[in-house]
Amino acid sequence: MSVKVQIPTPLRQHTEGKDTVETSGATVKEVLDDLGRQFPGITQRLFDGAQVRRFVNVYLNEEDIRYLENLQTPVKDGDTLSIIPAVAGG
Amino acid sequence: MTTVPDQAMERYSRQTKFPGIGEEGQRKLLASRVTLCGVGALGTVLANHLVRAGVGFVRIVDRDFIETHNLQRQVLFDENDVAANLPKAEAAARKLAAINSTIRIEPVVTDIDHTNILELVSDADLILDGTDNFEVRYLINDAAVKLGKPWVYGGCIGSHGQTMTILPGITPCLRCVIESSPPPGMAPTCETAGVLGPAISIIASYQAAEAFKILTGHTELINRDLTYLDVWENVHKSFKVAKLKDLVDCPCCKRREFDWLEGKMGSHTTSLCGRNAVQVAHRASNRLNFEELSQHLGRLGDVTFNRFMLKFAAEGHEFTVFPDGRAIIKGTNDVDKARTLYAKYIGH
Repeated sequence: MSVKVQIPTPLRQHTEGKDTVETSGATVKEVLDDLGRQFPGITQRLFDGAQVRRFVNVYLNEEDIRYLENLQTPVKDGDTLSIIPAVAGG
Repeated sequence: MTTVPDQAMERYSRQTKFPGIGEEGQRKLLASRVTLCGVGALGTVLANHLVRAGVGFVRIVDRDFIETHNLQRQVLFDENDVAANLPKAEAAARKLAAINSTIRIEPVVTDIDHTNILELVSDADLILDGTDNFEVRYLINDAAVKLGKPWVYGGCIGSHGQTMTILPGITPCLRCVIESSPPPGMAPTCETAGVLGPAISIIASYQAAEAFKILTGHTELINRDLTYLDVWENVHKSFKVAKLKDLVDCPCCKRREFDWLEGKMGSHTTSLCGRNAVQVAHRASNRLNFEELSQHLGRLGDVTFNRFMLKFAAEGHEFTVFPDGRAIIKGTNDVDKARTLYAKYIGH
């Protein structure tokens, strides 16, 4: 499956400035693993051990993966995965 | 419902003609009480909307004073306010009173913490977030969930922002959706990433519209999504978060553990977003006596003060001290150093 991952501004230092990365995988986990293979620096920013960091939310299209099947959520061709960190300022 | 003279209603005619508000909605707005936490970038836009729309009582709470670099986006302030060394809450209240003298505005110059938040929000129908950090947002969330009051979160950095409305018992709370705040160094600040006025205006305006819906009783129209937008990259998304409410074992809204409200979480010393400054919140039991303090500090160099703040410089740092005992110390992001400087020059 080909899935687009949208990279938030603070993490683009790890993706050579790219705001979107094309990945492949059958689940959210495989997609994020593929992202980590392409851009190794990003994995430790996204994960705390096996879990996504608690201040980072991952949305498959418009849905929060926590009420889907979390990292095991299946993905399909053309899906978009958005990584949205908490926004503090104001 | 109190009767409002026709003349007083006339100023809101362009709003009451909108069927969603109507005269009935306007009367509800006029009878409403809102506590606005923070009157910086988001907060000035929010306050402007609330006061012009005729929300009857607006309490504005802010700990900070105005600096020139605020003027790029904090729409209620001008150069005269910077020159007058006014706290934001006070300067905002003066502007807002000139915009609408028929409603009540209560400026409160203080740092919101677990000792004072219940007092600040318990008589309000709604709490609005114009703050710039998650420590105070989790505190607002605790207080709102405990008291069953709605609140609207907003946050902005760079060209992007997000907002979400929390109706305790109905929607997920902030901790359901954002389980923890980014640790220091893991997220950009206004200083490292900057922030654009237009992103602020849009997020705060979404928050204000949610406020109008809540205060006029249109909870069925409340936005149940987390809205995320980026004005530079042309992104506008709605993420569906409503289902998280029953799914997450939320310490706050499910287990009713109010860690921030009970003072178990959160510090009293905060590195300020985008400022190379640290706030040391050493709450004094009595208001500081600036005359005495200025005599004491006068030996070090120039000390200036007015009713709201006292300023002096020492060891290359600029100190701004408030009557409630807080100080903002510029020229460092090191909280330990700031604590030391505070103890050295201000004492306690």
